[in-house]
Amino acid sequence: MIELQWLIPLLPFLAALLVHLLGGRMGKRVARLSVGINLLVVVIAAFQLTAYIAGDTGPQWMGLANGWGSLQLDPLSAIMALVVSGISLVVHIYSIRYMIEEPGYGRFFMLLDLMTGSILLMVMAGDLITLLIAWHLIGVVLYFLLAHNTEPPNAQRYAFWTFITYRLGDLPLVLAAVILFQAYGVLDFPTLFERIAESPDVRTFMNLPVTGTVAFLVALSAFAKSAQFPFHTWLPYTMEGPTPVSALMHAGIVNAGGIIINRFAPVFVHSGEILHLLFVVGLVTALIGSVLMLTQNDIKKSLGYSTMGQMGFMIMETGAGAFALAIFHLIAHGLFKGTMFLGAGNVIGAARKHDGVPNDPLYDFLVERKSAPARLPWLIIGAVTLIVPLVILVMAHAWVAEDFFQKQGAIVLLFFGWITGVQVLFATHRLDSENPVRMMALIILSFALIVVGYSFVGHSFETFLYPDAAFRDSLYSAAGIDAVTFDMLVILLALIVVLGWMGAYLTNVRRQRVDEGHGNARLTLYSLFSREFYVADVYDRMTVTLLDFSKRLNVWLKWS
Amino acid sequence: MSGLLIILAAFFLPLFPASLVFNRLAAGTTNPFARLALFIVWPQIGVALILWGDLAPAGTVLATWATLSAIFYAFRMLTVREVGRWAAMLASSAWPLVWLFVMQGPSGSDLIAFTLAMTVAPVLMLLVRDALARRLEAAYTGLRGGLARDLPRLSGVIAVVTLAAMALPLFPGFFALLAVLSGATLGVAIGILLTWLLWSWAGARLLQGTIFGPRSGPIADDLPRSTTWLVAGLVVVMVAAGLIWTGGAV
Repeated sequence: MIELQWLIPLLPFLAALLVHLLGGRMGKRVARLSVGINLLVVVIAAFQLTAYIAGDTGPQWMGLANGWGSLQLDPLSAIMALVVSGISLVVHIYSIRYMIEEPGYGRFFMLLDLMTGSILLMVMAGDLITLLIAWHLIGVVLYFLLAHNTEPPNAQRYAFWTFITYRLGDLPLVLAAVILFQAYGVLDFPTLFERIAESPDVRTFMNLPVTGTVAFLVALSAFAKSAQFPFHTWLPYTMEGPTPVSALMHAGIVNAGGIIINRFAPVFVHSGEILHLLFVVGLVTALIGSVLMLTQNDIKKSLGYSTMGQMGFMIMETGAGAFALAIFHLIAHGLFKGTMFLGAGNVIGAARKHDGVPNDPLYDFLVERKSAPARLPWLIIGAVTLIVPLVILVMAHAWVAEDFFQKQGAIVLLFFGWITGVQVLFATHRLDSENPVRMMALIILSFALIVVGYSFVGHSFETFLYPDAAFRDSLYSAAGIDAVTFDMLVILLALIVVLGWMGAYLTNVRRQRVDEGHGNARLTLYSLFSREFYVADVYDRMTVTLLDFSKRLNVWLKWS
Repeated sequence: MSGLLIILAAFFLPLFPASLVFNRLAAGTTNPFARLALFIVWPQIGVALILWGDLAPAGTVLATWATLSAIFYAFRMLTVREVGRWAAMLASSAWPLVWLFVMQGPSGSDLIAFTLAMTVAPVLMLLVRDALARRLEAAYTGLRGGLARDLPRLSGVIAVVTLAAMALPLFPGFFALLAVLSGATLGVAIGILLTWLLWSWAGARLLQGTIFGPRSGPIADDLPRSTTWLVAGLVVVMVAAGLIWTGGAV
């Protein structure tokens, strides 16, 4: 079975070669060849996943020679291979017509195949060097894909931003690989992780723990690839590239950070402090991404910041110890965001044909902000809003795993689930309806179905990805903090959130304008948001200064 | 005696300021074949001196000096626009890393292979320089951009050679850097990684000044198909050699 695994990354590389060699002879038909081979990859990936689930062989590894050049078949690689190849196939099919009038049609498909091969190699790599090769290739191929239209200066500029950020993300992983090789003397993952489990306290440079140092470097790499603050500036600006590339990037490439953190889970399990770092960086990124998404007046940049926020959540989940959930999240987000990008053209086309927006209650409520004249009593709504989501969440999670509430990370996720649920009920209880009680009941039922379904699927997914229950518990336990501090933080956050809701409610009741009061503070804050916290400006200034210094040195030394 | 040999070798495996000699020599050599020979032979003289004198250079000072030399030239590459000088500075940044490799006590053949791996990209870049100069009268980046649409074969070669200059997989430079990193201390490793990052930055600027940008129109003939295949074959051979060599290097 493992032999078949080789075909999954190799076929897209073969497709790239064939597209390049036969492009002149086959013309535009070369895209069909590319799609055909990618379809075969999806079939093989689906077969491998099914065979892995049905079989009882456990993870397998196979190397070409001693040293490097190996692949593995384990739950993470099996599921991600199917997801990546599936999304890539959809993007391929979409591109056949979408790119037909663009120059460099064959080149585009060649690059798309190279990208597919690189990502597949990354998720299936069985040793450090194969992983590094794939990790580097992703950034390089993405650069050429984003700069596919070679003429617009902006496309080149932002492709460069992406490339240099990805290079920044490549190098910490190289250092991590070097440290692991120096400390444990092996390259292949199965042996490496075995040795780490046997002796996790090995020390490296400056007597630092190997596991903590490597986890930190892997986290840095993940931050750059998954657009975490402050390495995020490339993501919202890369919309100049072709739409299929945006879809592939937001649905697949940007998830690399979550995948690499999961791949190194046996290292992170010994590095609690780094898991806390992941949580904080993820949280900051989620907040900044969401705030900037709301303040953009450019829909594409807004989508870019939305992805940044989602990536923040994904990294935060790993920081809470919910590694499998991060993978579940990135798959769900990938499918959702990919659909949005690929469907954007149709939506715009439809809007051009039918300029009348449907005038239904939901539209009146969301866009016109007209709420229902008759509502349920506010006390009942308040109680329902705060209590019902909590009850549903607790019951659903207790059903799938009795020990769920022993894990702090799980409590954190429950907390976010509760906030989301409350937000849903809070936002929709004023929706115009002839029968408000029935509508509220339907909303609660929908919420309950989603939570129960999600809890069941999420739990099954976690068991599939990390079958060893002790290891799953160790991840949650490594991510934990002192119980008293944790409780205090949860109470503090709950208070902030509830106060925020009250503030929003009072503002709404008093019909205050949003920009009334605290004029200067609001203006300063808005300036910060509109300039995207000046992060890109700081990078620009740094770049100009460095280039100026380089030029001065060259002039001084007469270019020798 | 060994101290004197090390100082002499520092001219051939150039450490700043001894590297000024190589860069002036490279800039002053106008014949393309002589320049190619200079790039190939120059570092091997340094290697020959080390092997002949059975030198075992060590110490933090030399390691720091070599690392700083590599960073210094990589940083200066950012604003060099003449492709020939760019290639010379790339060599001046890559060859000091040979000293760091020497400190790990490699065999003679590994040392020669490592030096060749570090020489591949500058030599290929010289070929690009000549191809550009023959077509555009001068090999300056930013002078005539947007070659991708009008000279696709030449642009493809420029892109591949620049990727080799950035030491990206699967070019020999990538494996050579992994080899030297595998025995490096933390400070040296960070220095090497910084050099690597600067090569990438400089390489991307070179691409933006040549193949990308608004198209220049049909300014010259593209690279002949046969030459393109020849360069492709050369690159494949170098990649294969690098892959075979890494069996024992990492």
